[in-house]
Amino acid sequence: MKKRFIIIILGVLLGVAAVGSASAFNLGGFLDEVEKQTRPPEKKQNPQPKARQPGASGGLIGLGENLGLFDKKTSNLLQQGAKTFQAFQPIGLEEEKAIGASLAARVFDRYGGPYNNPGLLRYVNLVGQAVAGMSDRTEVEYHFAIINTNEPNAFATPGGYVFVSIGLLRLLENEAQLAGVLGHEIAHISHQHALKTIQRGRRLQGISALGLAAFNENPEKFGRLIDGISDIIFTRGLDKDLEFEADKMGVEYAARVGYNPSGLRDFIRILGQKTRSGSIFFSTHPPPRARYDRLSRLVAGYRAAAGNPRLAERFRRETKGRL
Amino acid sequence: MRSIFTSLVFAAFLLQTVGALWSPPPLAAETLYVKTNGTKLRAEGSARAKVVTRLRIGTPVTVLMKTKRFYKVSLAGGRQGWIFKFKLTAKAPGAKKGGSRFAEVLGGRQQFSARESASGSSIRGLGPATRTYARNKGISAQSVQAVENMENYRVDLDDVDSFLQEGRLGAYAP
Repeated sequence: MKKRFIIIILGVLLGVAAVGSASAFNLGGFLDEVEKQTRPPEKKQNPQPKARQPGASGGLIGLGENLGLFDKKTSNLLQQGAKTFQAFQPIGLEEEKAIGASLAARVFDRYGGPYNNPGLLRYVNLVGQAVAGMSDRTEVEYHFAIINTNEPNAFATPGGYVFVSIGLLRLLENEAQLAGVLGHEIAHISHQHALKTIQRGRRLQGISALGLAAFNENPEKFGRLIDGISDIIFTRGLDKDLEFEADKMGVEYAARVGYNPSGLRDFIRILGQKTRSGSIFFSTHPPPRARYDRLSRLVAGYRAAAGNPRLAERFRRETKGRL
Repeated sequence: MRSIFTSLVFAAFLLQTVGALWSPPPLAAETLYVKTNGTKLRAEGSARAKVVTRLRIGTPVTVLMKTKRFYKVSLAGGRQGWIFKFKLTAKAPGAKKGGSRFAEVLGGRQQFSARESASGSSIRGLGPATRTYARNKGISAQSVQAVENMENYRVDLDDVDSFLQEGRLGAYAP
């Protein structure tokens, strides 16, 4: 007991000393080295099957089991603990794209397919890429599409898929409003709102921790995950705190590009005036009045950007005859 | 021996926790990372200045000076220039967070986070999980094709740049 206590204390002291000299210490690199040293050696004669392997796994826990330092039962307990910890970590980008692409197919299927106007699509993509280039997660490839429904709405699915309906585009008055709307959706992706919501929920938490190979091998589990996220995006909506965060970051991203930051706020006002209360937009977002008030306070803080352009003329030119 | 190893695992967990909580003192020079491929390094702090070179996503730069919209930076190798400030980020794009790495070290990568696809290559086009899902849910082939078209649609970086310039946005804002 005393020996164990001393070892734990030594480990903590080592950690404090190592991190304290952080100018030279790279924790991520250290962990990379540990992982290299503890990875099970690859067997050239017997290639590993794609299915889940029986017996010991890699990592420190696997090493301990291989060395016979603890039994299978202890190993399983430690693995379970590590899995639970992993369930709270961000999902990998390839997994995120697989989820997002599946949801994107549902968006097209549910909302009338793509709206086919090449000129309009190009314009939305130019504004979208300009805003996405200012987001906080630019390693994601952002894709933009127009869906063929007169219902004013916009969606974002994980992995970079952004949709705006032709009904919404018909309500806009200028390019700054379009940038604000797209900025809001990009913020949902860059801050992984849908994925974080799933990871918080107990029912799908373990599924969301699976890797891409597991998704391919377990279509039923993958399907349950997609259905769960669909329910959030299309029916229940995200927590209102996440919607407000997307509003805040959408304004910030549009302002970074150089648009007038009032764009999103002005669009919310239009939406509140012109849309009936039964619209799907209202069921999945906080009330327009609450959003408008918050956005007004937020925009007041962007004094230096108050004179930024709204580009109404370019918006009219690019959308004329295309809406 | 067994109890010593278990203790080491626990100590590793504490090490990670301390590492996550510790905020090291700021370094004298600030390192930032390029956010997007094709980011322009300019000779001066102006959108009209000559382009020295274009940088790849994730390129680390050392910040030498800051103005309202541009940062003067130096690259590895000593080359210097100016970059529009919103093209830089404090976190290397795509960097894994400490928690994910720790979980992989503890339990092994293959079990918790199979980063590679079943084919072992980066996917172009929809993967098997998505196709199987679409088939099982009765999603139309046109909708699946629409997603592929959406992924394949591209606007040229130079066109986005021209678009910004025409609207006097981004680095071209007054």
